[in-house]
Amino acid sequence: MNKSDVDVFEKLSGQLISVYEEMSLLSKKSPNDAVNKFKLKFLNKLIDDSNQFLTDKYKPYDDFNIFDEDDMPQNSDVVFILSQYLQCFEKLRADNVIIKNASWYWKLKGTKNDEVDEYGMIYIRTVRPKKLKD
Amino acid sequence: MDIIRPRLTDYHGIHKNQADLDFAIQFFDEDIPLYVDPFLLWKSPSQQDNALHTTITNSFNYLNYLIKKKREDEALSILIDISECYEVGLGVSKTRKGTKISKKQAQDILSLFKDIPEYSQFGFTHFEIIQLYISGISKDRISDITCNYLKSFLIDYTIEQCELNKIPMEGVILDSIYNYKTNKLDINQKVYLPVNPLTKEPLIFTPKRWLRFNTWINYEDYFQKYCPKDEIFNPNEPEERVKVLNFNRENYGTVEGYIEYKSKTSEDCKNDPLFSQIPILSAKRKLSQILKLNTGKEDGADMKYEELSASLLASIFYPHLDFAQTQSRTDSGRHIRDLIFYNNRDIDFLDEIFTEYNNRQLVVEMKNVKEISRDHINQLNRYMQDNIGNFGVFLTRNPLSKAMYENTINLWSSQRKCIIAITDEDLKLMVEVYESKQRTPIEVLKKKYIEFRRSCPS
Repeated sequence: MNKSDVDVFEKLSGQLISVYEEMSLLSKKSPNDAVNKFKLKFLNKLIDDSNQFLTDKYKPYDDFNIFDEDDMPQNSDVVFILSQYLQCFEKLRADNVIIKNASWYWKLKGTKNDEVDEYGMIYIRTVRPKKLKD
Repeated sequence: MDIIRPRLTDYHGIHKNQADLDFAIQFFDEDIPLYVDPFLLWKSPSQQDNALHTTITNSFNYLNYLIKKKREDEALSILIDISECYEVGLGVSKTRKGTKISKKQAQDILSLFKDIPEYSQFGFTHFEIIQLYISGISKDRISDITCNYLKSFLIDYTIEQCELNKIPMEGVILDSIYNYKTNKLDINQKVYLPVNPLTKEPLIFTPKRWLRFNTWINYEDYFQKYCPKDEIFNPNEPEERVKVLNFNRENYGTVEGYIEYKSKTSEDCKNDPLFSQIPILSAKRKLSQILKLNTGKEDGADMKYEELSASLLASIFYPHLDFAQTQSRTDSGRHIRDLIFYNNRDIDFLDEIFTEYNNRQLVVEMKNVKEISRDHINQLNRYMQDNIGNFGVFLTRNPLSKAMYENTINLWSSQRKCIIAITDEDLKLMVEVYESKQRTPIEVLKKKYIEFRRSCPS
């Protein structure tokens, strides 16, 4: 991973979290209601971008790509899938962070313009991986 | 291919919803149970409608002129001739043919001009008020008289709508058309109009905006809301209509007061839709009643299931599928109930079942059984062979068993016939989206179809 990957990661994971929160609210109110086409269109775009970013290694399911509009996915289906994506994003982050001086950092490949260490890596401050317990 | 409860548009292959058309689509075999209410023309914001109302009033008051000129026979014959207008196909007649009023009734109507000084002097402003004076005159007569007075306009309107929607017309002879200039009936007029292909009788369209289930000014409403009953009837006396009618004749002021009251509340006078959807609350109630029913026939569960499902589906598929009727048929001694819809082809899925399966109508067979059996599938399949097209729907309680599902897939593979089953779960989703409006209930049907097609061999 490099710096621009982290940018994309933050954009996509941020979007996924906010969509997940919105859809959770709807799902709590009426889990079996269908999602309208407008929401589905953008949801699918987000999932498609995430698939490309995660690649096969981190993609939650081999046989799930995007929602089919004709299948009329319901709120609870969408929340279910989004939670899987959030987990996979977190897994990808956990695999690319290290602890250094009691803080967590992304460990990334640097370029010529970066101040790299002896292994050619740069470090960007981040938060602790969520699955770790204190 | 025969169509069930044929409508003019479907017959000519014009796939438009009733909701999209300005006129009420006529049936060939029976009348539309709505009536032209002259009051709607009077209160309409359109000057044209107001002018037409004036035409009706003037034409009706011309009868008074004839009486005063001692030409009562002429007035009588006009009134009798304009008392029935079968071409517009409104009312409750099952045969599309009504009868004219009797001479006695016509005389009674004309006597109003003589007996009530105000009408004799100033004439009527709302002629439908004759319902409050004459027994046996009600909404159907008022509607027919109105249509006859406006026949010339309605013919032009029909021609305009036919040209707009490409409905074929033929040269026909109309028995009579009221002539506003001469105030006489022109007999045997040749005009170009659409015809009923079964009987070759001419059809005249009426704008939807003029139609109501009952006229705004009507006897029942007067009797309930305005009539001073304590003045007419002694305590414990039976409330006979004749007494009210006689009272009205002698108390012009009361009737006038009623008209004033109805004019003041005219804001509430709206045309009635040809089909109205059930409200969401009632859809949810119907669904929960359906879900509570047991399968089978015990306690009339099957009848209740059919009744509840019919009104629920008719509403939730509107306006994409216009409801035609429930139909009963007997197949090898078994009683079967179907829901028939007109296919308006207004969404891609409906267009597909028209082009791929030849469905000009859609049949939904209701089965309140625990499991759909091979017999049930064969029955529906046979029925589809007859006349309906190759796409059929079961409305049943549980999903098809694996074997039966295979059976329907085989039917598709061998004969390109598609049978899908809508279950309680699908109904739940339909009602859910009917309420939330996030998707349309017809899309649930499409979803089931697409799921089915995915299982079919490609």
